[in-house]
Amino acid sequence: MTQEFKPNLVGYLCNWCSYAGADLAGATKLEIKPTLSVVRVMCSSRVNSNLVLTALAWGADGVLIAGCHPGDCHYEQGNYYARRRFALLKKILESLDLEADRIQLSWISAAEGKRYADIVNDFAEKISRRGPSPLRNHSKI
Amino acid sequence: MTPHQERTGPGAVPAQAAFLPAPEGTKKAVTDFLKTLMDQGGLDALLVPVEVPDTPFHAWVMVKKSEVLDKAHPLPPVMSVQGGRALSSLTKHGTPWLHIAAVMRPCEARAAVELAKLKQVRLDNVVLITIDCPGALPLAEYVADPEKGQERYKTVADTWHENEFLRPACARCHRFSLTGLEDGPSEGPAPDDAPASVDIHIGLLGEDQNGILLLPVTPSGAEILKKTGLEADRPTAGWESRVRDLLKKKKEKRQAAHEEFRKDITGLDRFLTVFDPCINCHNCMNVCPVCYCQQCYFDTQTQFCTSSVYMDRARKRGALRFPPDPLLFHLGRMSHMVLSCVSCGACEDACPVSIPVGKVFSWVADETQPAFGYSAGTDRGDPLPLQNFLKEEFCEIETPSACGQAQSTEVKENA
Repeated sequence: MTQEFKPNLVGYLCNWCSYAGADLAGATKLEIKPTLSVVRVMCSSRVNSNLVLTALAWGADGVLIAGCHPGDCHYEQGNYYARRRFALLKKILESLDLEADRIQLSWISAAEGKRYADIVNDFAEKISRRGPSPLRNHSKI
Repeated sequence: MTPHQERTGPGAVPAQAAFLPAPEGTKKAVTDFLKTLMDQGGLDALLVPVEVPDTPFHAWVMVKKSEVLDKAHPLPPVMSVQGGRALSSLTKHGTPWLHIAAVMRPCEARAAVELAKLKQVRLDNVVLITIDCPGALPLAEYVADPEKGQERYKTVADTWHENEFLRPACARCHRFSLTGLEDGPSEGPAPDDAPASVDIHIGLLGEDQNGILLLPVTPSGAEILKKTGLEADRPTAGWESRVRDLLKKKKEKRQAAHEEFRKDITGLDRFLTVFDPCINCHNCMNVCPVCYCQQCYFDTQTQFCTSSVYMDRARKRGALRFPPDPLLFHLGRMSHMVLSCVSCGACEDACPVSIPVGKVFSWVADETQPAFGYSAGTDRGDPLPLQNFLKEEFCEIETPSACGQAQSTEVKENA
C-alpha cells in the first residue's frame, strides 16, 4: 500500500534562485518525481506561515520552501528572515507534535539543477515512506 | 526633548527603595503614592484603572485631577481590558504631549513593551510603573456575581498564596513582580545590565507588611521618585528574597502544569479535541494585546474560496466542515504572535466556550521563545525575533543540514 502511495507535495520556490534551479533541472532533463506542485514566490521570506498551514490543512502531505543560499538573496536578507519564520513554525509544530517533519526548508541556487532534483526526490521519498498526512481526511477538519 | 527619552537604563534590582507606610492598608498607600506622583512627580496625567461609579468594575482612565485617584487602583479584581491595549489606544498615533505615567500589572507592562516594538505604543513620554500582582479572578465568574468576586479577591490580595479562585493564567504566572527578575540570577544582586522594561516598581511583598516599597528601576524612575520627596533608603534585599521564594514556587507550579498539559494537547487528535468547541468568534484575537493588526487575515474574505473549490474538496474527502479550517485560525494566529505572547490570559477570559486558549498559547510561548533567546516584554532593547537574525543560526532546521560549518555571532539588527 505504502509502495503505491503518491504524496501530494507543495513547493514554494523563490523566483530568483530555486525556481531557476528547477528550470535548469528540467532543461538538463534530470529525472524529478512528479509529485511536487510548484508555487513561484518572489522571495522565500514571502512565505507566510499561513501559506504552509493552509497547504497542510487542505491535504498536502508535505510542504517544501526553497530559496537562495544564505548571503545570496536577491533582496539581500530575505532568506535570513525566511529561516527565522520557518524555525518558528517548525518549533510550534514540533512542540504540539503536529507533523513537523512534513515541512522542509532548503537552499537551492539557480545553478544547482542537480541539487534541486536530489532535494525534491529525497523529499518525495521521505514523505512517501511517512505515508499520507492525517490532516487529509481528518473528520474534524 | 525630555529627560525621559532614554528608556533602556540599567535594570538591576535597585539596592534601595523608598518606603511608604500603609497604616490603612496597601491599597490606600498605593493610592497615596499615585497622588504624590501626580502632585509632585512632575507628571501631567496618570493612566490607571479607576472604579466606575456605582458598578463593581474598573476602567482605564487618564486622570488629570488627583482627587479622582481616590478611586484608582492598578490591581482591580479582574483584567477587563489589557493595559497594553489601553496604552496603545492612547499613544498609537504619536507621542503624548503630556508627560504621563501608566500604572499597570506586570503582564500588561510587558504587553506595552511588545507593542512598543511593534510600533503600536509610544513609550517616549510615558513612565511605566508596575506593581507586585497577586493575580486576577476569572472575568465570567466575576461578572456573574461581583459581590462574591470582591469578597474572594480580598483573600487573594491578602494571602498571596496559591488561591483556588485565581484565573488559571494567574495561578501559574511566574512574572508577577519586577520584570526581568525571573530571568536573572537566583541568588545575589542582579547584574547592572539586567534587562529593564519598567521605570518604577511598587513592591507589596516587603518584609514590613505595613508599607509599600517604591523601587526606582531606571534613572528616569529614580528622578521622578526624587521629585516626590521620597527618600530611597530602605534596603530591598528582604523584598527580593521574598519575591524569589514565591517565584521559585510559581515556576515549579508552572512547569508541572505545562508537563501535565503536554499530555492533553500534543498530537493532532488531541489538539483538535481541545479546539473542538471553538465557535469561531475570534474573541481571543480581539482581546489579545499583541494581536494588533488592523485587519486580521482570518477576518478577511481572501481566505474563502468559491463554492466549487469547496465542492471539490468535499468530494475528495467525503465531508467538509463549515466554516472551513478552524484549525488554521488558531495555528495561524499562533505562528504570528506567540513570540510576543506575555501569558496574560486575556484570551482565556474572553472565550465563551472555555477553551484553554491561554494555556495552549503560553505553553507554546514557553517552548518557542527560549529557542530565539527571547522573553516577551522583558527588555525594551531586545529586537523582535522575527525582525532580526544572525547570519548563521538554526542550521539544524535546513535540509540538508548546514550544521558543522563555522559559527559566527555577527548580529544584523533591523532598527
